[in-house]
Amino acid sequence: MKKVIAMALALTMALGMTACGGGGGSSSGEDSSSGGSTELNLILRAGTYADVIKECLPAFEEEHGVTCNVQELSESDLYSGIALDAINADGSYDLCMVDGSWMAEFTENGVLANLSELGYELDDDIIPATTSICYVGDDVYLAPYYGNVTVLMFNKANVEAAGYNADTIDSLEDILAICKQAQADGKKGFIYRGDGQNNLVVDFLPILLSYGGWVIDDNNQPTVNTEEFKNAMNYYLELIATGEAQVKDDLIASVDTGSGTMGIGWPGWYTPTADSAADYIALNGAATDGGEAHNANVYGIWALGIPANSQNQELAAELLTYLMDADVQKSTVASGGVPCRYSSLQDPEVLETYPQYEVVCEALESGVYRPVISEWTQFYTTLGTEMDNIINGVKTVDQGLADAQTQLEELMAG
Amino acid sequence: MRRNNSAKLHTADVQTKRFGYSMITPTLVVLLIMTAYPLLFTLFYSFTDYNLLRNLREPASFIALKNYTDLLTDPYFQQSIWNTVKFTILAVIFEMLIGFVMALFVNCLRRGQKTMRTLLLLPYLLPTVTVALSWRMMLSPNYGIVNQVLQTLGLPVYNWFSDIHTAFGMLVVIDVWQSAPFVFLLLYAALQSVPQSQYEAARIDGAGRLKILFYVTIPNIKNSLALCALLRTIDSFRLFDKVNLLTGGGPANSTSTITQYLYNYGISSLDFGFGSAGAIVMTILVLILSSVYIKRAIQ
Repeated sequence: MKKVIAMALALTMALGMTACGGGGGSSSGEDSSSGGSTELNLILRAGTYADVIKECLPAFEEEHGVTCNVQELSESDLYSGIALDAINADGSYDLCMVDGSWMAEFTENGVLANLSELGYELDDDIIPATTSICYVGDDVYLAPYYGNVTVLMFNKANVEAAGYNADTIDSLEDILAICKQAQADGKKGFIYRGDGQNNLVVDFLPILLSYGGWVIDDNNQPTVNTEEFKNAMNYYLELIATGEAQVKDDLIASVDTGSGTMGIGWPGWYTPTADSAADYIALNGAATDGGEAHNANVYGIWALGIPANSQNQELAAELLTYLMDADVQKSTVASGGVPCRYSSLQDPEVLETYPQYEVVCEALESGVYRPVISEWTQFYTTLGTEMDNIINGVKTVDQGLADAQTQLEELMAG
Repeated sequence: MRRNNSAKLHTADVQTKRFGYSMITPTLVVLLIMTAYPLLFTLFYSFTDYNLLRNLREPASFIALKNYTDLLTDPYFQQSIWNTVKFTILAVIFEMLIGFVMALFVNCLRRGQKTMRTLLLLPYLLPTVTVALSWRMMLSPNYGIVNQVLQTLGLPVYNWFSDIHTAFGMLVVIDVWQSAPFVFLLLYAALQSVPQSQYEAARIDGAGRLKILFYVTIPNIKNSLALCALLRTIDSFRLFDKVNLLTGGGPANSTSTITQYLYNYGISSLDFGFGSAGAIVMTILVLILSSVYIKRAIQ
């Protein structure tokens, strides 16, 4: 009897295992063989950036008979997600969102497919400055999709209380004066993101650019121990002393409620309206009133690319072409989309409803990409760590920047 | 006859041994695949300059001990070791004390033990991400309830996670809040097994509460105390998620633990060779720290 029961159990288990194993195999076979059930996997930056893409997908899915699966990740998870998948011969993803600062590392190591070979080319409607990192030689590897660029976010009432408005903030001097006045009025002045080295560096870069400095020279050698950098750092210390470090959500809430006055932000964070308490402007890049104006708006553009190991490159290229279409991109504006296109950002109808796009367009025309170097992750980690030490009084400006310079020189020397 | 019996006994002994080996074989195989192989692999990578993406175009090179020397001479790594040790000591002490007090309290309750046990366990049941985000909201400088209460009471308010003087302490508080229930659970179970007759005998002998605690309760649950301390030490030493979510190691590296350092300098930049060296160093440190307990367990 025991033997019969044992045999019956063994048979059941074997059948069960066969059914489970077989089921998976046959379904995947069906997926890949039948044209009607093709799947495209998208790996995107979570937030508005992915939301605007998701709302465009149903039309493409219907037209092409495909299913698009979207994976939304934070910036760091997106970077590691794409990189970890790149080592596989058969990639899991067909379309990826890429930060401009990853471009060098990704193209040097063959992570991205050549879009020109897949028949995609950038058109003239796209703001030219935003495409500067999209090429390797004459070949396109990325398409600038979401026009994120640093802007100065401010609380209207606090700025007016200091005797300024959006049109009269002409320099960093004005910004400091407004923040000091806000502090004197019992409010917080300048709010910056103190969490993580990347945020620390990115929030500071527009200030550094306004002082005529930059983090590397033309030969990709670090330039963080320069007079320009020190002047910018000293100014920044004075500026942030009027406020405090906060995380992104708190920064937006502070400026919106008026408990904080200003901060460096991105268009994707906040959609100002005529009645909103906060607004944003593009920095004009002058350190002092009447001083030289530099390009001081830093790009955080989210570009679209196709992984080199994608199993559906041609279909993915069709999806990319569809998502980059001028009309499709304009349709995303109402949901917070920021296309890098003149046809969207200068459209009278769009500007009537969303006047802030004029500012965004100006900022995009004169923006600066973070250094396109394959060591950028280590670079900002090192620089951000030393800046954090300076900001918290652990090191002096001279000491911190000298240490950063030494470490960065070692890094860039390999 | 005697020889025959002896042969039978020998055969039975061999069969028992065989059965024993066959029983532990699956575990051994799983351990070898899941633990030994990754450990050896990590050890191997720690002697190379393996970078995940760079490896796509050029294979990793053997660089001997360079990763280790870079790591051990880096002042930020040294600071992260100190932060981790400091965090571990503080967290384990407070978690053990609070967990033990909670266990004693619930154990002496005559009614509502189950309800109390469930309520006290709740923080431990929550995912760490939820805990971190809840605390971030409560301690927010804008809308956080903690600052609002302090303001109402006329007390100074802080920017808890961005202030170099408060960030580390807040991480300890949050970890203790979440993990003390784990200690409570283990010690509460141990307290349940202490023979009541020993308490009665102690009371008859005129022992007070403190004497009963030190001469009856603690000696009876000392193994559980040691186990708790060991588990909490290992877990605290590996602290990552709370730090990563709440402070990212800042401000000014004041909350950077070993794992956060490895994430910043090894994992996020995909320098897995360097990260592997850090992981090996960390494993050795955990072994040293827990060697006292392990030695005791082996004895």
